[in-house]
Amino acid sequence: MAYKHIIATFKDENVLLKALTRLQENKVNLVDIYGPFANHDILKKFTKESRLPYMAVLYGLISMVSIFALMYYTSVIDYPISYGGKPIFSFPPMVVIMFLVTILGTTILSVLTFHGRAFIFPGKPAKIIDPKVTDDTFYLVVDQNYNPDEIKVWLKESGADEIMEKELNT
Amino acid sequence: MIASSIRWPLVQGEKSYSDISNELTAPNETKPALWWYIGMSLGTIMLAFGGWAFYQSLTIGLGTWGLTNSVGWGWDIINFVWWIGIGHAGTAFTIFFLVFRQKWAASINRAAEAMTVFAVMCAALFPLLHMGRPWLAFFIMPYPNTRLLWVNFNSPLLWDVFAISTYLLMSITLWYFGMIPDLATMRDRATNKISKAIYGFFSMGWDGSMISYNRYESLTRLLGGLAAPLVISVHTIVALDFSISVLPGWHATILPPYFFVGAIFSGFAMVLTIMILMRSAFKIKDFITDKHLDSIAKVLKYGSLVIGLAYLIEVFIAWYSGVEYEMYTFLRARMTGSFSTAFWIMVVCNAIIPQVFWFKKARRNIWTLFAVSIMINIGMWFERYVILISSLAEDFLPSSWTHYSPTIVDIGVFVGTFGIFICGMLLFIRHIPIIAINEIKAYKKHGN
Repeated sequence: MAYKHIIATFKDENVLLKALTRLQENKVNLVDIYGPFANHDILKKFTKESRLPYMAVLYGLISMVSIFALMYYTSVIDYPISYGGKPIFSFPPMVVIMFLVTILGTTILSVLTFHGRAFIFPGKPAKIIDPKVTDDTFYLVVDQNYNPDEIKVWLKESGADEIMEKELNT
Repeated sequence: MIASSIRWPLVQGEKSYSDISNELTAPNETKPALWWYIGMSLGTIMLAFGGWAFYQSLTIGLGTWGLTNSVGWGWDIINFVWWIGIGHAGTAFTIFFLVFRQKWAASINRAAEAMTVFAVMCAALFPLLHMGRPWLAFFIMPYPNTRLLWVNFNSPLLWDVFAISTYLLMSITLWYFGMIPDLATMRDRATNKISKAIYGFFSMGWDGSMISYNRYESLTRLLGGLAAPLVISVHTIVALDFSISVLPGWHATILPPYFFVGAIFSGFAMVLTIMILMRSAFKIKDFITDKHLDSIAKVLKYGSLVIGLAYLIEVFIAWYSGVEYEMYTFLRARMTGSFSTAFWIMVVCNAIIPQVFWFKKARRNIWTLFAVSIMINIGMWFERYVILISSLAEDFLPSSWTHYSPTIVDIGVFVGTFGIFICGMLLFIRHIPIIAINEIKAYKKHGN
């Protein structure tokens, strides 16, 4: 049987924030909120802190150690060449390459992690709730509807522009 | 509206989110004006000239350039450093915006990043071409090979390879990721199938989900934070290419900060030039306000002071050192000798003329802003010319002194890079929203 979600539309993000607060106070679960831009208050209230920065630190450490290992192996073990009498193993110049490759590795791996975690990639077909979602309208999608009437009242009282019940294809 | 006694309005006029979408997508959805076609034609002609020069350099060789035994680096490296400097502004704006939370940079960020991407592409061409055999460019990468050779990790020339590659990748990543929600807006507004398909492909199925936005904001802030030290390091490494040598005029510890400030300075000047042209062409003065241009002019004013100070320090230290070669290079060759014309153009354009920005009237006059921004870029080109050529042409031994002049091929390659930049920027303007629509909507209500 097709499952219909309650979807409320908002033109103003501050009104959406009020509605979100009301629903969260009443422990209503939401599927998602869709909108044309990210509002930090909404993100703070609705989403959890992303763990991407922690992964980025790990990627940075891996990159730094890997490039140090490569430089050490190439310059000290495999083919030590004396450049103008300078020491075979000289750490200060290695810092520059380590710094750059740390940034490079962190960038590439973080981007790939984002693609994998958000499951977005070039060519992915767009399943949008409505074309206005990228224009000027926010859509709040409620998860359960065991008390749909009460939820609709809360949304109406919070100032939702439109409330509808719809199957979601996202 | 969030009233603020210290924040000027970031978007002028009473605009709805829909108005913002309509106004900022208008340049992409309407037929371009005549000036766009003229610009593209000019860019294409420059590109063709550059293509010919490139072909000459590849097939006949670097003998077609004006390089001599003493002046081993000429217009190739002058132009490389100049373009890299220009390319710093985009990332600097992104850092201001993402790391320092300077919301006013939202309307300039996208175009500045585009400028960075194309400038770095132009810059990267020069080290590739100046190798002589660019088809063997992969030799500079550290990989196990049949020659049983590794690269020299101690050399700033190799650091440059890593720095420029990382910087190009970072710039493209920041630029592209920043525009994903806007590409989704273009996808949903597209009326023809091809546009919809192309925007759809590049928007990666973006649906405006706040859960995705959360990860997206986290990623862009992370990339911005990574880009900050990268911006500083890239031009520092370019300066180290010179600093670690022994030539008078090059072998100085002031070069890294001096080059970095110079890069931000010339980059901001180029951004100012482009913003003035764009806001007039597309009538987006409500988004790129007079206050935005005023803020950029203030940065240029302070940059000019630092550059002026660096010039004074260089001359002072050369005299204070008592080293006759340094004294000759700075006090004779550059100030009064063979390179005096270029030197004084450099000083006047970089350290003196931008001081007009102390006056608010100058910062608010479009013609003054435009003229000074052009002069700064001319001055910064001459700075690189003075640094490079004066030290190479007249170094320790007078019997090896030569004088350098560029050939038509040198000029052609430089003009070709202008062609790449102009064509690239015009294509960007035509097909991609030049201002970050989703960011402007987010900050629309800030100000009083």
